[in-house]
Amino acid sequence: MKVRNFIEDVGGASRVTKRRQAVYDKASNTPKPFDPIGDTAKKLHPGFIDLTVTSVRQSGKDARTIRFTADHLPYFKAGQFMTLRMKIGDSIVTRPYSISSAPYETRGEAPFIEITVRRPRKDGFAADWLYDNVKEGDTFTGEAGLGEFCHEPLRDADRIMALAGGSGITPFVSMAKEIRNGKMKADLTILYGSRNEEEIILKEELEECICDHVRVIHVLSEPEEGWTGETGFLTKELIGKYTQGDTSYFICGPQVMYAYMLKQLEEMNVPKRRIRCEVFGQAADITKDTSYPSEIKDSVFDLRVEQGTASQVIPARADESIAAALERAGIVIHTRCRSGACGICRIKVLSGRYHVRTENDGRRAADKEFNYVHACAAYPLSDLTVKINIPMQ
Amino acid sequence: MNNQKFFDERYDVIVIGGALAGLASALTLASKGKKVLVLEQHNLPGGVATSFVRSGVEIEGTLHEMMSIGPKESPLKIRKFFDEMGVDIEWLRVPDAYRFVDGKKKTDVLVHPGTHGNFETPAFEIAQACGDSDGSVFHAILELLQLCHRVYNSVNVLSVTHMSKARMLIEHPDFVRTAGYSAKEVIDTFHLPDTAVDILSAYWIYVGDVIDNLPFTVWAVLMADYLGYGSYVPAKFSHEMSLKMAERAMEMGCQAEFGIRVDKILAENGHVKGVRLMNGEEIQSDYVICSAYPDKAYTSMIEPLSEVPDGALKFVNAKTVGVSCFSVVMLLDQSPEELGIHDYSTFYAPHGMDLNTIFEEYATEGPYNYITSICTNLANPNASPKGTCIYSITALPRPEGWFGVNEENYEEMKQKNAEYFIRMESERLGVSLKDHILEIVIETPVTISHYTGAYQGSVYGYMHTMDDHIVARLQMSEAENYIHGLAFAGAHQISGDGMGPAVTNGRKAAKIILDMMEEAQG
Ligand SMILES: Cc1cc2nc3c(=O)[nH]c(=O)nc-3n(C[C@H](O)[C@H](O)[C@H](O)COP(=O)(O)OP(=O)(O)OC[C@H]3O[C@@H](n4cnc5c(N)ncnc54)[C@H](O)[C@@H]3O)c2cc1C
Ligand code: FES
Repeated sequence: MKVRNFIEDVGGASRVTKRRQAVYDKASNTPKPFDPIGDTAKKLHPGFIDLTVTSVRQSGKDARTIRFTADHLPYFKAGQFMTLRMKIGDSIVTRPYSISSAPYETRGEAPFIEITVRRPRKDGFAADWLYDNVKEGDTFTGEAGLGEFCHEPLRDADRIMALAGGSGITPFVSMAKEIRNGKMKADLTILYGSRNEEEIILKEELEECICDHVRVIHVLSEPEEGWTGETGFLTKELIGKYTQGDTSYFICGPQVMYAYMLKQLEEMNVPKRRIRCEVFGQAADITKDTSYPSEIKDSVFDLRVEQGTASQVIPARADESIAAALERAGIVIHTRCRSGACGICRIKVLSGRYHVRTENDGRRAADKEFNYVHACAAYPLSDLTVKINIPMQ
Repeated sequence: MNNQKFFDERYDVIVIGGALAGLASALTLASKGKKVLVLEQHNLPGGVATSFVRSGVEIEGTLHEMMSIGPKESPLKIRKFFDEMGVDIEWLRVPDAYRFVDGKKKTDVLVHPGTHGNFETPAFEIAQACGDSDGSVFHAILELLQLCHRVYNSVNVLSVTHMSKARMLIEHPDFVRTAGYSAKEVIDTFHLPDTAVDILSAYWIYVGDVIDNLPFTVWAVLMADYLGYGSYVPAKFSHEMSLKMAERAMEMGCQAEFGIRVDKILAENGHVKGVRLMNGEEIQSDYVICSAYPDKAYTSMIEPLSEVPDGALKFVNAKTVGVSCFSVVMLLDQSPEELGIHDYSTFYAPHGMDLNTIFEEYATEGPYNYITSICTNLANPNASPKGTCIYSITALPRPEGWFGVNEENYEEMKQKNAEYFIRMESERLGVSLKDHILEIVIETPVTISHYTGAYQGSVYGYMHTMDDHIVARLQMSEAENYIHGLAFAGAHQISGDGMGPAVTNGRKAAKIILDMMEEAQG
């Protein structure tokens, strides 16, 4: 064996202790917190921001574009959404809206951010209220720059084909504007399905974006006489006609559209990694979901809500999500995607039964084991007790 | 809201932060019957020990390997703690220690861990990679690793036992004799071939400074644990560990609240009095365990700041903040076999193992030339749907390199590094990863800062260096409780970084508080 002489040295511990003490002795006693990384994180993700409406304009039949400003608008990525919190009657609700303005417009002399809201054909609670009531000078709190529906150069093809329906055009308007202004490197072809010409929203904005790298093809399912453009649905034939080479397909539109579009793309043998879907909200009618016990659909259950040491009981309709029950009761619940995907509305079910639709089940495996649910995507099947976060906002 | 009261007036202990360290504190205190309130700003427990879901697939956020777990029948320190606390986690053994690839010297070796503290397998594999013809290299490596093991055993005893110097010298001679030296200095006395030193250095970046300035004690613990016993991961990702700790703490009577940010730690006459939340609400407690960095606590959280003694400021100013993390996490559209990925974890140094060069590069905005890749499915075959796999590429840059990051250039810095990593790994694997990406998430120091609030986005607390030696930390620790009733839990504490050490740090914080309580009662 070699002799490892220093290992006979037993004074090491006191030596390193003296050394550490010396560094300490020399150190300054002036506080100098320095965290530029933290500062940038706060700028990029400021959480709730106070938004002021600076204008509302009609941007199509039943569609209004709302422009907001704020002290500091965070950067976002074209395709992302924002949320607005609204007090409607006794309810405090939050809804997501894709941002229809471009990221570059949050910068410069008069920065702004826009959403475009469409009044639903059926009754909509928040959508109707917002459409009917919003006016210049109104203030909201909300979060901007949310969601994953954006072009990621490392993953996606340089060519994007947008498959849009109805108000699903909004994220693509943001992308088109950003590309048109040279701020985003991608080539965008938009296939935009509408019932007729009158129903097209943000038509002028889209036209202004047309350039070498942005094409817009309107596809009307019930065109008026004289329409010379594309007609029918966004079929694989139509998609094939406008596809050139390696393409990523981005789908955003009414819920019924997704299954149809995915089938078309599958029949075209488009690889999975070339297909991106925006989150699509909740089922229009959860009681029609397979495995939903329809005999309880008209029930109203007792929902016990525990927050810290406090507890209260509120009614919860079988056909509405737990988040909706909380919002109706004026209890603030933090939501973003309203689709079960982002998990921000995670709560714990302490007792009782609930239903989660498979398509909206974005929970972590361990969460499922402990009866955590995403409140926007879980429906009561019995009286329930839940533990939710204490409101801080 | 309708005058509801969400908190009791007073708690025995308030724990700021519900990540691994804070939860380990909470579990320890609750098991002693203390009334504990845990306040976590994020809406999930675990801090960085978490997972995320993309397109319905759950993906590990950070954990590569959990140390100090060991097999069920002979549990190591951390598994033992979980067993004692009744935290039941499904652990899966990681099949290999690591593959080490040096692009310059063309070294390429797969190292397997031993079991039950036996190092023959890794010593043999490393020796073979150095062309060991007569077994001398094998023996030297084995001897070195056995020395590491003795130091490791001593650290495990000494971190929970007070002992006189004389007794320490008799019972823990190797610990005492190596305490004053860097990893490099001790390794050099074994006269190993350079290649063996390179291979044995692979883990270095997980703990601190380059091996010339890294305490041997720290390196020894790491080597003994990983190479002598192997590592583990939870079947349901690190979120399983975080959640089960939180659930168990609540079961034991802790009140744990998420989405709550503590703004201030209230102090008076050198004693902690409680905390103030962001909404102004105050909650009383004579004891607070803080997971935020001492830098943050002493410069912006203690209220009033005049309660912060000069010593505390000197303490934080004397420290070097540890590394942060840059990680590209991908869900790929083929199985590991289809992609030709065979190893769970790979350390790759395309331009060689000059640690000083690598470490200097880590202090820039990139690109970085020392990376760790993990294929989760090779330890956890059900980690993702059939025909897919999860693959991550990680470097551990120092915060300095990201000081120039701002809103405008962030995306570009992120993309540039991620693209470089994907290209580098594609070349090594001989497969174009870019053509297989279903989902991609890029984690940066900014991401870490956003989710955990960690000072300078660091995940590794304060760097282990010869100037801030763990043995010295232990010896001086008592004098470093600057405000009575306040203890810290997190990577910034004595045992340093890593998920295992985080748990140890949390237990230690609880112990400090329990001792203070006992003292107060006389
Ligand atoms: C990512 C994303 C992006 C979107 N982008 C856009 C966009 O760009 N433009 C656009 O127009 N739309 C967009 N939407 C849809 C938008 O969020 C709708 O406004 C939203 O779905 C509400 O629609 P609604 O008014 O029809 O439904 P609502 O009726 O508001 O919501 C239905 C829910 O509210 C509950 N509810 C009913 N009454 C009450 C009450 N009194 N109190 C509390 N809750 C009640 C119901 O139980 C039900 O759960 C987007 C959706 C998502 C998910
Ligand atoms: S709001 Fe995103 S999951 Fe409920």
